Amino acid sequence: MKRYILLALAILFLAVYLFPLYWMYLTAFKPSTETFVYPPTFWPGDPQFNFVDVFISKKMSSYLWNSLVIAIGTTAIAAFFGTGCAYALARVRNIGMDIVLFLILMMQVLPSSLMATPIFVLFNQIGLIATPRLAVVLAQAAKVLPLFIVLTRTSFMQIPKELEEAARVDGATRLGAFLRIAVPLARNGILVTSVLIFLQSFGEYVYSRSMISEESLQTATVGLMNFMGPNTTDWNGIMTYSVIYVTPILLVFVLLQRKIVSGLTAGALK
Amino acid sequence: MSALLRTMRDGHGFDATLALLALAYLLVFSAFPLVYNIIMSFQEVDMFSLASLVRPFVGLANYKSLFASPDFWPVIWNTVVFVGLCIIFQLAIGFGLALFFQQEFPGGSFLRGLFLAAWIMPALVAGAVWKWIFAGDFGVLNYILQSAGLIDSKVFWLSNPQISLYSVIIANIWLGIPFNMILLSVGLVGIPKDMYEAAALDGANAWQRFWHMTLPMMRSTIGAVVSLGIIFTLQQFDLFASLTQGGPANASNVAQYWSWQLSFQIYDIASGSAVSCLMLGFVIIVAVIYVRSTRHEHRA
Repeated sequence: MKRYILLALAILFLAVYLFPLYWMYLTAFKPSTETFVYPPTFWPGDPQFNFVDVFISKKMSSYLWNSLVIAIGTTAIAAFFGTGCAYALARVRNIGMDIVLFLILMMQVLPSSLMATPIFVLFNQIGLIATPRLAVVLAQAAKVLPLFIVLTRTSFMQIPKELEEAARVDGATRLGAFLRIAVPLARNGILVTSVLIFLQSFGEYVYSRSMISEESLQTATVGLMNFMGPNTTDWNGIMTYSVIYVTPILLVFVLLQRKIVSGLTAGALK
Repeated sequence: MSALLRTMRDGHGFDATLALLALAYLLVFSAFPLVYNIIMSFQEVDMFSLASLVRPFVGLANYKSLFASPDFWPVIWNTVVFVGLCIIFQLAIGFGLALFFQQEFPGGSFLRGLFLAAWIMPALVAGAVWKWIFAGDFGVLNYILQSAGLIDSKVFWLSNPQISLYSVIIANIWLGIPFNMILLSVGLVGIPKDMYEAAALDGANAWQRFWHMTLPMMRSTIGAVVSLGIIFTLQQFDLFASLTQGGPANASNVAQYWSWQLSFQIYDIASGSAVSCLMLGFVIIVAVIYVRSTRHEHRA
């Protein structure tokens, strides 16, 4: 009996906590007349489906495409540079690797909003601002690469060294053993971390806002900010935009949540 | 030369090469901008000298004008309040939830994981949703508080300079709770169960067990969560952008947002990089303390 009381309490806590998400979905379904009534209604009287309208009129396909490009590029760079580094840091413990790990941890904590100034000036000088999405990808990859390394390193640490040594005895090179033994065995960890990095970069805002001036190259976050503007009161539209933007993110999260949570906890406290 | 290539492909050089490739990327795109930022903070940087490589050095002038600015100390104080309150409440609520979910019941770990849904969504979208919740005239928060009898008249959460900072703090606490809860849960799992059973046999009540066993055993986890909390709270930018933009009149501005505003909205890049340098220095000090303390734990 006590177990079910606890379950009911847990659901209550979760419901209170996730109320803002409910409010977002609810507002997206309300007609605009119902949005601005006081007291507010907690269930849509006359549900609307404005998704296609908002998607087209707010040019969301372009914004979402740019966010997707940036997220894919960032994840690719992080996975390319991060996987090998995570492996090396998991396999070798000496003073040199300790220094590398320390430097990486230091670069994990630099806030994007503070790094935006020097990165913008620097990229401006070498002409990277002319290809703004690439500029954002390079900056964002530097931001998330340390996290990728820290989280993936724990999956490599769980693979016994003996498996690679056996392959080496059979004549495999280090590179061969790394690519054919270690990486496939750490595949789950690498994939989950990549998804996490991808989702984070899909919602990137600071660098996109700072470096992309052309509207056709701007990301979904910047599009949402433009939509919110100082004087707009189209909360239906804004919440509909938000719902279109975050629903895929939330779906991926719910599908993978067990793995994301365990990957995160394994890496974060080590 | 060929020996070098061989060790890189097949020997100990292989690990070093893999590690140094990533490190090189980070040195180019993180460490170098960091150093460049320090140099810029001693230079005159404006829209005209932005693109030129050689800029006049002005010594400490940027810092001096920064400290003399009437906005400086209020913004720093706001940052302290923001970080302090966010961490206290995230930790307290996160700890409470972690203790609650420590008990066994069907679906517990699944429901606990769902809290992270708030953490995974783009903070800017969370900011948009909270802006709508906070809205003065038609916002649901005012309605709920009014029907509960907690407030008499509508509160203008975002446009009242006395309140706007606290509104951003509320939204940020909301965002930070799940992460705190998950990390604290990991710490709680590490406490051996039989200790509690022994204490219960000796007649310790729940409060005594919490105060004399759980808290001392959780000390290092709490230390880690607080340091990570400071680091993550100082990264918060999107909520300020979407909720108040630091306003009204800098009432809710914090250093990390102010630095960005100076550079990208007022185009006073020299001041922006000076603020940025001060804050980056602070973040790095916190990170060094955090990394050193966790290292220490591992050796012990």
